[in-house]
This record gives sequence, C-alpha cells and structure tokens, in this order.
Amino acid sequence: MSFSDILNSGKFVVTAEIGPPKGTDIKEMLHHMQVLRGKIDAANITDNQSAVMRICSLAVCKLAMENGLEPVLQMTCRDRNRIGLQSDLLGASVLGIKNVLCMTGDHVSAGDHKQAKPVYDVESVQLLKIVDGLNDGRDMSGNDLKGATDFYQGAVVTPESNPIEPQLIKFGKKVTAGAKFFQTQAVYDMEGFKTFMGHAKKFPVKILAGIVVLKSAGMANFMNKFVPGIKVPQVLIDELKAAGKEKALDTGMDIAARHIKQLKDEAICDGVHIMAIGMEDKVPDIMERAGLL
Amino acid sequence: MIVTTKREFKDLLANIKDYNSFFLIGCSECASLCGTGGEPELEELKEALEKEGKTVTGIFRAKTGCQVLGTKVELKPFKDTIGKTEAIIVMSCGAGTQAAVEIFPDKPVYQSNDTIFLGNMTRYQMFDERCSLCGECILDETGGICPVTACPKGLLNGPCGGTNDGNCEVSQDIKCAWVRIYERLNRIGRLDDMKKTIEPKDWSRGQKPRAMSVRKKEEKKK
Repeated sequence: MSFSDILNSGKFVVTAEIGPPKGTDIKEMLHHMQVLRGKIDAANITDNQSAVMRICSLAVCKLAMENGLEPVLQMTCRDRNRIGLQSDLLGASVLGIKNVLCMTGDHVSAGDHKQAKPVYDVESVQLLKIVDGLNDGRDMSGNDLKGATDFYQGAVVTPESNPIEPQLIKFGKKVTAGAKFFQTQAVYDMEGFKTFMGHAKKFPVKILAGIVVLKSAGMANFMNKFVPGIKVPQVLIDELKAAGKEKALDTGMDIAARHIKQLKDEAICDGVHIMAIGMEDKVPDIMERAGLL
Repeated sequence: MIVTTKREFKDLLANIKDYNSFFLIGCSECASLCGTGGEPELEELKEALEKEGKTVTGIFRAKTGCQVLGTKVELKPFKDTIGKTEAIIVMSCGAGTQAAVEIFPDKPVYQSNDTIFLGNMTRYQMFDERCSLCGECILDETGGICPVTACPKGLLNGPCGGTNDGNCEVSQDIKCAWVRIYERLNRIGRLDDMKKTIEPKDWSRGQKPRAMSVRKKEEKKK
C-alpha cells in the first residue's frame, strides 16, 4: 500500500525521520533502516537539515527503498533554484520515490557553511504548486513534460508559532497549493495542539503530529530557548528532572509514547512523525510503549 | 541611499602599497551621510596616509560621485595635479569608484569603502535596508513592506517555521518580516491580501548588468 493509501485508510500512521550522515560511512544509518523496516509507515529523509551539509535526501531515499522503507523526500528551497528543484523531482520520480515534503529550509546561517549563498528562488507554497504542475505533466514555465510525475505532496506547519495567525494563513495557502498531508513541528502541549487541530480539521488534509523525543531536562530547556516554535511545558521538564540523569532518556521515551497514545486514542490527528534525532533505533521501543506494536 | 562602510585602513594600505602619491575623491551625497566620504573623512584619510609617508596631492568632494559627466567636469581644474599623481583613492560607493575609473582610464583607482546596501536613513547615520532593487516590485501586495528584503529568505507567502515570538530565526535583532506584514495589513484592514498566493518572482527582471535610458530616441548619443 502506498503512503497516501495508508493515510487515507484511516490507520493511525507513524513516520520516522532519518537524517543522512555527513560522509560516506552509512553503516549506522543502514542499521537504523533495518530496525525501522516493517514497523513504520514511511521514513522521512531530511534535506541537509539545519543547513548542515550531508548526503543528499534523494540518494538516501533510494537507499531507504532498497532497505524496505517507504521514503518521503524532504525538499527545501535553500540550495536549489527552480531548475534544480524540478530536475531533482523528475529524478526522484523515475527512481520510484512517491512522496515529497516541500519546505522552505533552515537558513544557511544555522548551518556549517555560513558563507554559502542561500537560494530561495521559490519557497514552500510555490514549490507545492510546482509539484502539482509536474503531476499534471507540465513544468513551472508551462512546458509539457514527456511523462508526468505522480507525487503525494506534503508540507510542514508549526502549531505553536507565535503569533499563530500568519502561520495559519500560510497553512491555508499550502493546502490551496496542493499539500495533501502535513507534518508538524514538535508538539508537547496536547491541549494547545487540540486547538490547532480544531482549525486544521476544516481542511481536507492529513496531519501528522511532530514528536521529538526528549533526552534530558537540559535538552528541553535548550529547545525552549533556541528552537523557534517549540514549547516544552514546565511539567514535562520537571518530570525529566525528577527522573534523574540515568533515567532521563527513558522518561523522555515514556513522554513521547504517552503523547502518541493520547493522540491516537482521542483521534486528535491522523498520525505522528517521530524525530528521534540520531536515536532512530529507539523508535520501535517508543511505538511499543504507545501500544502501536 | 547607497550605504557604505569604511574598510580597515591596513587593508587599504596593502592594496595601495605599490604607489606613493594619491588624489582623494569623496562624495557629497550618500558617502557624506554615511561618514565614509565627506570632508572630515577626506581630511582624516589624508592625514593617515601622510603619517605612513605617502603624499596626498589633493582632496576633492564630488557633488554626486556616481554621475560620470558631472564629476568629470568638476575635476577638470585638477587635471594637471592628477596627471602628476600616481593613483586615485575614491571614498564613496562602488559606483563612484567606477565613475573615476571611467574618467581616468590610465590611472589606478582604489577605494577606501565597501558598498553594502540601498538603505533608508532612519536616524542620523543609522541605516536600514528596505529595497533589494529586484526589478519587480510587490509592495502593493504586501502592505508596503518588502519581504524580498526584510526576510533573510525573501519569502513571498508568509512566515517560515523559524519565526520566533515575532522575531527571525536568523537573528533576534530582526523582526519577522511576515509578522510585520501581517500586523500592517491587519491595521489597514487588508488582511485578505495576505491570503493571496504570490507567484514565483521573475528574477530575469534583475538580470545584471542592468541599464536604462529615459531619453527620447532622437536624443540618444551617436
């Protein structure tokens, strides 16, 4: 079953993020793929995340397929102009990649090549329209393609963005531009997320709640301070603190599992997107604790 | 105006090391307001060069240094002096420097400033970048605030996920362009403008080098 079929079947979907490594040693990543195989519905392959140069998403999507995973190709607008983006999308299509997540991309100033020229020839809303056009058999200049693509395209949204209104307006534009599914920034406040879902449910799209596994109280504090759009409530930080250093990660996994279970049991959204950030091998354990395996 | 910043004096010295006598050209327009090419700066550089054992044969503040013909006419009285001078240092923007290159095709021309952006002067000697000269203005669609310039990513359809309590992910000193646009449109009762999708820009409008003439055809130089 394709990723879109699974999402439309009503099953509570689980995707996990795989961050390609920096360098050609892919042993650990292949191990993560093996661990996730048969457990998750799709693997989301990041595109030079945090603007740090790594193996490209396209090549790793192909490896994911060879290792039995359904890949979601993340595509940012930071490093390629409209020619490069469309060309890579055609390439992805002929390699059999079916799902694409269109995003703007972290600014180069966040990464490890700060002197790079950021591209942003187009941005996420426009990229979604480009994918829609390629699916219709034409490029963004209106030229006919010899063979159309058949992508299932998604986008991202930050439910805890402050102020929220501009974010919701952009969310609406992404839906109009053709986004079929959304993956959210990490959410920790389930009540706040329900408010966002009250708005999102008015649109014919699938929503996967972002789950970032907390490894320690320090990480939670760091994210609150430095990662835009992420708010870890104090009660969770206290819970991690009370667990002590040894047990912090275990508690973080419990918190993630608890949230996933609540999202599923209360049918708050259509699934979750787990970002384990280097601990992809822990994802099955979290799913088990959430009652999904 | 064109905003310039002074280069490190040691960098200028390294560039001009092959020459000993200089004629300095400043500019009464932008560079004077930026404090990089007005009378005080001309005097200051003259003094600094002389301290390094260099000779300054003359200083002159052009009325508008980027205006090639006008500056050429203004500099006529200095023809002999400049003829005997080894090199010229321009204390304005890159356009001013290149005007001097055109006026003095046989002389080495150096510049004492870096040219950084087209800016609005918000207070005396304080400048903000508001326009990127992209060639295709979308201000009418964005409440009069330019996201091509005010957003580090130049986003055209709303804030990215990096917007942070109204500030930008790139720097807390930058207010999120799209939060500003949202607030402005809300204030003037035009929030619906933000719901319209802005199409990808036609960057060919900014293809370099750009030139334009508003002269009537018959007036064109033969």
